[in-house]
Amino acid sequence: MNIPHRIALFFSGRWLPVCLILAVAGFLRIPVERDMETEFKDQGFRDWSPGLSSRDQLTQAAFVGALGGFRSLVASVYHLKAHNAFVKKNWGEVERLRTVTASLQPKFWSYWDLAVWDMAWNAFGYYRGEAERHGDDFEGWRIENIVMPTYLQKGIDFAKRGLEWLPDDYRLLKVIADIYDQKMGNPEKSAEWYLKASRKPDAPSYVYRAYAHQLTFCQGMEEEAYRVNKDLYRNSGEITLTLLRDLERLEEDIVRRAASNMSYEELRAAALAEGAGYLEMASLGTYLLEVSKDLPAAIDIYGKVAVHPGAPSFYRRKLAFVMLKDPKQTGRAYQMLKALALRDPASLRREDIKEIARLESRLGIPKAERLKP
Amino acid sequence: MNQEAQDTAISRRHKVFSALRIWAIARNTFTQLVRMKVFYFMLIFSALIIGANLLFLSFTFEQELKILKDVSFGAMSLFASIFAIVGTALLIPKDIEDRTLYTILTKPVPRIEYLLGKLMGILLLLAVSILLMSLLFFTVLYIRQHGILTEKIASFPRQVSDAQIALFREDIFSRGLQPELLLGVLAVFLKAAVAAAVALFVSTFASSTLFTIIVSLVVYFIGHAQSLALDYYFAEGEMPSAAQRFFAGLIGVVFPNFQLFNVTDGLTAGEVVSASLMARLVGLTAFYLTIYSLVSWLIFAKKEL
Amino acid sequence: MANASPPAVLIEGLTKIFRLPFRKEEVVAVDDLSLEVGAGEVYGLIGPNGSGKSTTMKVLLGLIAPSAGKASIFGLDSADTASRGSVGFLPENPYFYKYLTGSETLAFYGKLCGLSGKQIRRRSEELLELVDLTSARDRRLGGYSKGMLQRIGLAQALVGDPRLVVLDEPTAGVDPAGSRKIRDLVLELKRRGITVILSSHLLEQVQEVCDEVGIIFNGRLVREGKLDDLIAIEDQSEIVLQNASPQLLERIGALVDEEDGAQMLRCGNPRTTLERLFLKAISEGSSQEGEDH
Repeated sequence: MNIPHRIALFFSGRWLPVCLILAVAGFLRIPVERDMETEFKDQGFRDWSPGLSSRDQLTQAAFVGALGGFRSLVASVYHLKAHNAFVKKNWGEVERLRTVTASLQPKFWSYWDLAVWDMAWNAFGYYRGEAERHGDDFEGWRIENIVMPTYLQKGIDFAKRGLEWLPDDYRLLKVIADIYDQKMGNPEKSAEWYLKASRKPDAPSYVYRAYAHQLTFCQGMEEEAYRVNKDLYRNSGEITLTLLRDLERLEEDIVRRAASNMSYEELRAAALAEGAGYLEMASLGTYLLEVSKDLPAAIDIYGKVAVHPGAPSFYRRKLAFVMLKDPKQTGRAYQMLKALALRDPASLRREDIKEIARLESRLGIPKAERLKP
Repeated sequence: MNQEAQDTAISRRHKVFSALRIWAIARNTFTQLVRMKVFYFMLIFSALIIGANLLFLSFTFEQELKILKDVSFGAMSLFASIFAIVGTALLIPKDIEDRTLYTILTKPVPRIEYLLGKLMGILLLLAVSILLMSLLFFTVLYIRQHGILTEKIASFPRQVSDAQIALFREDIFSRGLQPELLLGVLAVFLKAAVAAAVALFVSTFASSTLFTIIVSLVVYFIGHAQSLALDYYFAEGEMPSAAQRFFAGLIGVVFPNFQLFNVTDGLTAGEVVSASLMARLVGLTAFYLTIYSLVSWLIFAKKEL
Repeated sequence: MANASPPAVLIEGLTKIFRLPFRKEEVVAVDDLSLEVGAGEVYGLIGPNGSGKSTTMKVLLGLIAPSAGKASIFGLDSADTASRGSVGFLPENPYFYKYLTGSETLAFYGKLCGLSGKQIRRRSEELLELVDLTSARDRRLGGYSKGMLQRIGLAQALVGDPRLVVLDEPTAGVDPAGSRKIRDLVLELKRRGITVILSSHLLEQVQEVCDEVGIIFNGRLVREGKLDDLIAIEDQSEIVLQNASPQLLERIGALVDEEDGAQMLRCGNPRTTLERLFLKAISEGSSQEGEDH
């Protein structure tokens, strides 16, 4: 057969130049296209090449679709499938489908977040119910001590994998911190991740406050916790109730420690020194109140603390409650609490309102003058 | 009569290249394609995106808007590519079959002008249909994002302040109708344009419409994996055999890189594409159109009709 | 044709070989054909289907490239797009874009000829009048009859005001009245000094309108000349009888045989003269073919 001859004939005509042009064009464009591809990758676009891991998990049709320019659409379809699996409480399937969805569009934060949520909240919550149903039998123990922690870890793992793609996304860092806080009760870890999250450019201020809050529960980090919270109190310009409570708790702790560790002379010298801080005064006050039981002196020193320019408002409440211990001062204490309730309700607690009401009836305050709840 | 003689004398001076002739063919091609009732696809498109809108109301608004965008862009890209390939594959065989090609080419029309006119006609159709589809898509998206905002405000137990509404609005709208979506629309058009140019080239030597469609579709799909072949060619570390590398390189050289045009996948996930990349994508499309027009012409110029 | 201006059509040694794809065979569609058509003439190219008429015309119009030889129009090579500036072509059984109206069709082809909007309007007006389609100008071509399509096709061929018009089987499939209309139009073109080449396998119109005819068979021009010259055959006589019985015909045949050198060529029902000529030319052509091999 003269096949070579025929091939020669084929190329000798118009096809030879056509092939040449296509080849030259190919060689011209490939470097440009490779450059563009790299740049797309740098901008976070062409970030998915169908590596074996996700290919195994995709059906053939979905794989072709993903390859054919419908990656986002395929991801949406898998998202819906994952949602169906969630409705059926098929958690293994949810995990598999969430993996596919997120690896199809790993730059889409929400897919990672949903995966974390499905593991650490939905699956975890479901198994908590199961554990309660089983009660104290072995299965109940197994679920509680093996299955549930596994799902929390899966959630954390999803977030960490997402962070490989989105290292600057505070939300994925925050969700890890949330798991440690809400699900594991691990304030140290939680504080650590909240801090990481708070350092990201678009992290809202509450992330850092969450860090400050978690710190207050960390054993042996009281000083750091006080420094951070005090700094927030002074500089953040936004004093939340949580911050106030945390600060109150922390300062009470400091004051109590000082009162139990130092002698009266030392405390007195520190409290009466020129430019003494309110904490030194409060320490003396605590000593007088709880060790030497000198109520008038304690009231006196707490009075100074309350008007100290740097002291947070909860010291005025403290003063009022110290004064309440002295039956002669009940009227004044009531007036102070009432004033606080009107002017600075944040410095009072919920139960204080009841206390005020009790005082009002004990003092026989006319109905019209009483504090309206 | 004298006046007319003068007129025709002017017309007889043959222009080697005339944009007006190309435009006449392009417009005619556009009408021809519109008459093929391609716009019925638009009904399917509307059904799809409205369906997508109604089906997935149970998700967060971010998810819902993303699905809406995914389905719309996916359908748009699919239809645009189908229009491009099938429409183009039908054009030249239809003209040959009806012998209208003879009447055109026996006018002083160079064959390159005929091809360019056809290509321009199909590009015109693609532009119009993509524009219509995106208009529909944007309208649905606009209505939906306002709907979501209203629902969100209504779902709030307390009275919502204007500042909060502004915050919600920004949050929702930033994932809804954004100007970047226009870049996605452009990318869909560019990709379809390259697919049309490929189909035009194939149809200059194909013996049937079906052959053109199949070959073009094969090129289209392999074109999406072209960069994978090149990855293999440029692979470092474990070295593929020379034959394998040659084959991978050949695929890279022969097939256009369609994967580059998939900007919408990133856009729906909220990624940003730079203007410079988009500009290069336009340039690359122009390059592809030029090359495929050139080789189409080389084949078509000597085609026996 | 003695003057310096080139002939309207000049075809020299034209050969066209089609190679069948994936087969060894080759088909010779046109074999060393030469012909010349002077400006203002009406030339008829006749021959049976598949004889090479259409191929010759396609080469002349640059639709296909010759394997050997060349064709030119008013001195411009057919391969040159510019040569088509002075040609109008009506293909066999033309279909145009169905969705265009008559005047839109003319406007489209006018634009392809590079006419301005004003020229197009005037030309369409005039041509629609000429081909008697003024009343159908705003109707879509999808609703035209075969004859109307042929006429709009002719108008389309004329829109660029060509000096040469090529008509491929202009009356094929057209009813007698339409056929007559087209014949009248060809005569009108001739009156206007436009050169016309028309091909046909039907002979009546060729006979009535052509100045010169070429008979083409198996890709060769087997006869060519002025119609009158071709038709007049010196050494033959014709007897036309009415109500002749077979016996009478037999007797006449016997009488002829008695005379030396005389021969009865044919006995049957009369045909048009040209058709007879045509059949004769073909029989000669095929006998030549036989000798060649």
